[in-house]
Amino acid sequence: MVVKGIGVLALAAWGALLLKYWLTNQLDLLINPNYTFLAVGAGFILLVLAGVKVWAPPLTDHRGIFPPGWSSLLLVLAAGVGLVTTPHVFTSQTALARGLGTPTLETRVRPQAFHLEIQSQQRTLVDWVRTLAVYPEPDAYDGQLANIKGFVAYPPQLPPGYLMLSRFVITCCAADAYPVGMPVRLAPDHPPYPKDSWLSVQGRMATEVIDGERRLVLHAHTTTPIPQPRNPYEY
Amino acid sequence: MYNHFSNTLTIFLGLLVEAIPFLLLGVIFSGVLMLFVPQGRLVAILPKHPALGALCGSMGGFLFPVCECGNVPVARRLLFQGAPVSVALGFLLAAPTVNPIVLWATWTAFRDQPEIVLLRLGFSVGITTAIAWLFSVLGSPQQLLQPDLARQQPKPIPLGTYWLGEKVPLQAPPLPWPQRWRQLGQTMGQEVQELGGVMVLGALGAALVQEFIPREWILHLGQGPVSSVVAMMVLATVVSMCSTVDAFFALSFASTFTSGSLLAFLVFGPMIDLKAMGLMVSIFPPRLVFYMFVLAAQLTFLLTVFLNLYVI
Repeated sequence: MVVKGIGVLALAAWGALLLKYWLTNQLDLLINPNYTFLAVGAGFILLVLAGVKVWAPPLTDHRGIFPPGWSSLLLVLAAGVGLVTTPHVFTSQTALARGLGTPTLETRVRPQAFHLEIQSQQRTLVDWVRTLAVYPEPDAYDGQLANIKGFVAYPPQLPPGYLMLSRFVITCCAADAYPVGMPVRLAPDHPPYPKDSWLSVQGRMATEVIDGERRLVLHAHTTTPIPQPRNPYEY
Repeated sequence: MYNHFSNTLTIFLGLLVEAIPFLLLGVIFSGVLMLFVPQGRLVAILPKHPALGALCGSMGGFLFPVCECGNVPVARRLLFQGAPVSVALGFLLAAPTVNPIVLWATWTAFRDQPEIVLLRLGFSVGITTAIAWLFSVLGSPQQLLQPDLARQQPKPIPLGTYWLGEKVPLQAPPLPWPQRWRQLGQTMGQEVQELGGVMVLGALGAALVQEFIPREWILHLGQGPVSSVVAMMVLATVVSMCSTVDAFFALSFASTFTSGSLLAFLVFGPMIDLKAMGLMVSIFPPRLVFYMFVLAAQLTFLLTVFLNLYVI
């Protein structure tokens, strides 16, 4: 009876957790929105399976590697943790640990031809990084206007007076989130912004040598602190 | 420390929220097998030869397109239905890659490098067939499988005296449909419980490793023809990414990592990663899962390094 009860609780708790994440808009902090329908569908199915388990007599054959009830208990504990906590938004410290500023971490599509179809001010931070990955010569963008948003990080290779405006990109789930960033040069004597604060930066692109490497840098004209977006990730 | 703890929790829950729908999909396929394929029928139609069985199992993903969370319930069901170990193991290792959804996703990501798609398919089929063949000839099901699965395997006919024409029912008559549907619901719930607990441990291990071994270290292993392959194989193991989208993640490294290392990521990751290893232990003893891991790693490494050095 106890084993059956824990089994019902495990299925119901996971169904409830998936639906809680959906209803509180927290799914986007854990998985790519392309998978939302799968997670929500799974939530409903798990609740149905829990209902079936309540009414149907228990199966007699046990085939797991744990003693009866233990596997369900693990599921209950994991769902319990999810139900009482809120998913954490990754910070600049995580971005640095995941290689922010390392040129290898660039999301890239390989087009058949390269056309600049949108105004430079309309590109998001991730658009800029993707554009650079396709055509990496910084001089090609020299003088272009930009208007991008992101959080502040300070990779060790940046000199004083600079910051790295950054975003995380999620392909599948939080486990694969990787950071992208654009160096920003603040106006002279501008006090540094605290790390992890969110900024909207307008300015003009220029080529500079940072840490021995020619890089595209945004020379900021205007920097405006903004609140963290409801969904801080790009996909 | 608080940041590490919060990140670990978020990665852990992210892995589970992403994986549970796919586990459920595998459980549904497993239920379909139970509902529509009578026990014993599979034994009759599947190849008995270990090599053919391994190859046949490696292609099973075209019939049941599941990722590395959904493949375990289906492989377990195949074994419960009496399928040979070679077929089930070939399916277990290959289905997350050798299936139409994953191949289509890989094609979308690497449209201008069709060789990546073809080599991913070829290497995956070759490596998984070789491993499944090798394991199925090296030991009996009783030696290879967890005890509850080994019991379901067909046993040799015992010696004795038999009357010619003696009618012995080979299996119980099928249940009426209402009972079968109820049994389907009960079995699905039970499989989610049994495999879900193992997946919780796998996801916890993957989250801890990922948070406490910075990805930067892995990427700094190097980008040479050999070191890049090692780096991407370690990354594939640690990130434990769903095979349906891993091609898009690999694409983000295409500008700086060798083609061989991208293939190593795409071939090795879906076969064995930290999250999937937890689930595989529900079929094979941990020692055998470790041997599979080593063998798959060696074969992937040799093939992709050869590719880097002599072909691409």
